[in-house]
Amino acid sequence: MTTTTTGTTNPDGDGEGGGGGGGGSQPEGARPRSTAASVISVIGELLITAGLVLALFVVYSLWWTNVLADRHEAKESQQIRQQWDNQPPGTPARGLDTADGIGFLHVPAMGRNYEVLVKKGTSTKVLNEGVAGYYTKPTPSAMPWDTTGNFTLAAHRDGHGAKFHNINKIHTGDPIVFESKDTWYVYKVYKVLDQTSKYNVAVTDQVPKESGRTKPGRYITLTTCTPVYTSRYRYIVWGELVRTQKVDAQRTPPPELR
Amino acid sequence: MYGWIWRHLPGNAWMRALISLVMVLAVVYLLFQYVFPWAEPLLPFNDVTVDNGMAAVR
Repeated sequence: MTTTTTGTTNPDGDGEGGGGGGGGSQPEGARPRSTAASVISVIGELLITAGLVLALFVVYSLWWTNVLADRHEAKESQQIRQQWDNQPPGTPARGLDTADGIGFLHVPAMGRNYEVLVKKGTSTKVLNEGVAGYYTKPTPSAMPWDTTGNFTLAAHRDGHGAKFHNINKIHTGDPIVFESKDTWYVYKVYKVLDQTSKYNVAVTDQVPKESGRTKPGRYITLTTCTPVYTSRYRYIVWGELVRTQKVDAQRTPPPELR
Repeated sequence: MYGWIWRHLPGNAWMRALISLVMVLAVVYLLFQYVFPWAEPLLPFNDVTVDNGMAAVR
């Protein structure tokens, strides 16, 4: 054991060595630390360590996963936009290659220029990429271009991009726009359910009766967890299609997004 | 525990501080890269979909 050369002296040998500064080989004649004291000191250090690890986990969940997911989503979005640009006009319009995502969701109520890539599936793996996923189970989602049906989406409220973090800012009457390669689908929110059971799969029905609609139509449903930072309940936003608009050469956004 | 580690690091105080820092960073890296991604799905903080209550459905 080397002798310490730290300037700080440790007058009584049984100091806890706070922060590791003390320690050193025990000076001659110092009281040796009792076994009990050592055990307690190790337990204390382990508890402090556990606290720090938990704090780090919060940092990880609420910040680092966002960094990773945003980076991933931005890259993928860019790829899709490039792919769209490079396809000669006349190619089958919307992505049959759904692995790459089918388009972008724009929700002005969640921020100007808010857009999120929409991909297939709502598995943890998909959603952790910082995208919104459309349901494949328990009730498969309809696509916006289907003549009737419910386009059902889920995304994270916190962490992993937190794309639906501000879902509570969406109110009845707000527009939600889905952008595919060739069409803008403009929806209007008609019902918000701010808390429901996580087992309430009926909200994603093709005709979401709980929203008050009884006839088949072209609906959109956003789901995420609530309250923030927990997964106790689900937050639901329903909209229905108002109109569609062809995408022009400049991809001029519809008036709702300007 | 930490005192013990500190006493067993080589070099003078600066050297030990440097080694300690590297070790702390290594631990944080391991946590962020491997431990937290493994632990996160096991914790009930981030389920956003409606399902039938079967974990397999997620």
